[in-house]
Amino acid sequence: MISLDTIRERLGVADEFTESGGVCWLAVGKASVRDVAAVMNSCEARFITITAYQLMGNDGLRLEYHWDLCGRLLGFSFLLAGNSIDSIFDLCEAVDWIEREIHEEYSVEFLGRAYEPLLLREGDAPGVNLREEFAK
Amino acid sequence: MSYKIPMGPYHPALEEPYKLDLICDGETICDAKLHIGFNFRGIEHLAETRNYIQVVALMERVCGICSFIHTLTLCQAMEKLTGHAPPPRAQYIRVIMGELERLHSHVLWAGIAAKLMGFKTMFMTCFEIREKVMDILQAISGNRVNYSMNRIGGVNRDIEDPAAVLAMVEALEKEMAHTVIPIFTTSTTARSRCAGIGVLSHEKATSCGVVGPNARASGVPQDLRKSAPYAAYEQMEFDVPVQPDGDVRARLLVRALEIMESCKILRQALAKLPPGEISTGDAKLVFTPGTATSRVEAPRGEVMYSVSWKENSRNPSRVHVRTPTYVNMPAVRWMVLGARLADTPLIQASIDPCYSCTDR
Repeated sequence: MISLDTIRERLGVADEFTESGGVCWLAVGKASVRDVAAVMNSCEARFITITAYQLMGNDGLRLEYHWDLCGRLLGFSFLLAGNSIDSIFDLCEAVDWIEREIHEEYSVEFLGRAYEPLLLREGDAPGVNLREEFAK
Repeated sequence: MSYKIPMGPYHPALEEPYKLDLICDGETICDAKLHIGFNFRGIEHLAETRNYIQVVALMERVCGICSFIHTLTLCQAMEKLTGHAPPPRAQYIRVIMGELERLHSHVLWAGIAAKLMGFKTMFMTCFEIREKVMDILQAISGNRVNYSMNRIGGVNRDIEDPAAVLAMVEALEKEMAHTVIPIFTTSTTARSRCAGIGVLSHEKATSCGVVGPNARASGVPQDLRKSAPYAAYEQMEFDVPVQPDGDVRARLLVRALEIMESCKILRQALAKLPPGEISTGDAKLVFTPGTATSRVEAPRGEVMYSVSWKENSRNPSRVHVRTPTYVNMPAVRWMVLGARLADTPLIQASIDPCYSCTDR
């Protein structure tokens, strides 16, 4: 089994993993979401899901990517600059539906991939489900 | 010439609504597109408007079959935020309820699969056995579907007479060992309808992130009860059945073997049920602001909840649910490629889909 230190080294991160709420979190610094996906693939980690959070006021959105490494839950958090982030669909097929769902629920653009029609509420405008300002 | 055949959202071969657009060349399927959302209820959004008691009742309704598992996962996440670890007896009762729910789910699925195979007698047998599983669940919880068993810091109802429940489980195990298991593993009908059909390779199962019995039927030895044990699973001895073939028959065999493993776990948990309290009591709960995550091995595979709390709030600020069918469903596209149109209902049913969970 690949150790957490190996993951840090591959991502070029000096900080340690910290455990909180059942997840081992790593602040990845300058590493991108695609760097993380590539390292997770190299470790044969299993993608679980992305959880989106709308932050207070105008602070935007945070996406948390969860991966399973031999039963250990790893988490990587990314603050969105604007409304977009790189897609990892070409690196990890399993993200397809959750990227499309977050696009629909929070109006986040996942760059570098084509979108099929909306997943849960076909025909409605993106962001109507969970994003507060869109719901109003 | 290829042509498109829409199946669903409301179709006799589907137990719940979803839509499959099949692109066919003659009787052979060349491609498929899946459409979900027909059961969308906005439950994640609703959860933000419910307090910590109400949200348990709400999430119990994400799924009609895995209702216990959903509240277990939610409560485990909320227990991390409140620091209320359940007492040992409650942990054992959670294992017992979880395994009974697995039996219920697998036997129900076996009945539906039998019906789709054209094996109606077996459908009747499975549903008769399912009734007996539900009788045990009712004897413990007082309910047949939404059990209201979980709470933050434990469970709501005790198992006062484990010997009586054990006798019911042993009778059930005997009946399954003499009917369901041999018929599904040896009958010519089951073999001819399921072998070599709807194959999901090990590579595709891994790249799609497939979970639960579907992953194990494609040779992926993955089970959270072993790799990340929760409740009292660390104290249980059981095997994780794995089959390499990835076809409908492998998925059938994995679930059949899992039924026997569940009975094994139930016997151990009921025999070793420790004395003591079943919850941490009615003290006021204080939530630490932040996010907690919990995962549980549901009958269909891994369920994950992320729950966030803000300071001094009675309601969660975010509840995200990742259900097993959500990751298993996209793999149906790969299972039906090259299959005969007539096999599609059985192939899609072989993943034991739950659209209610998927849509939330």
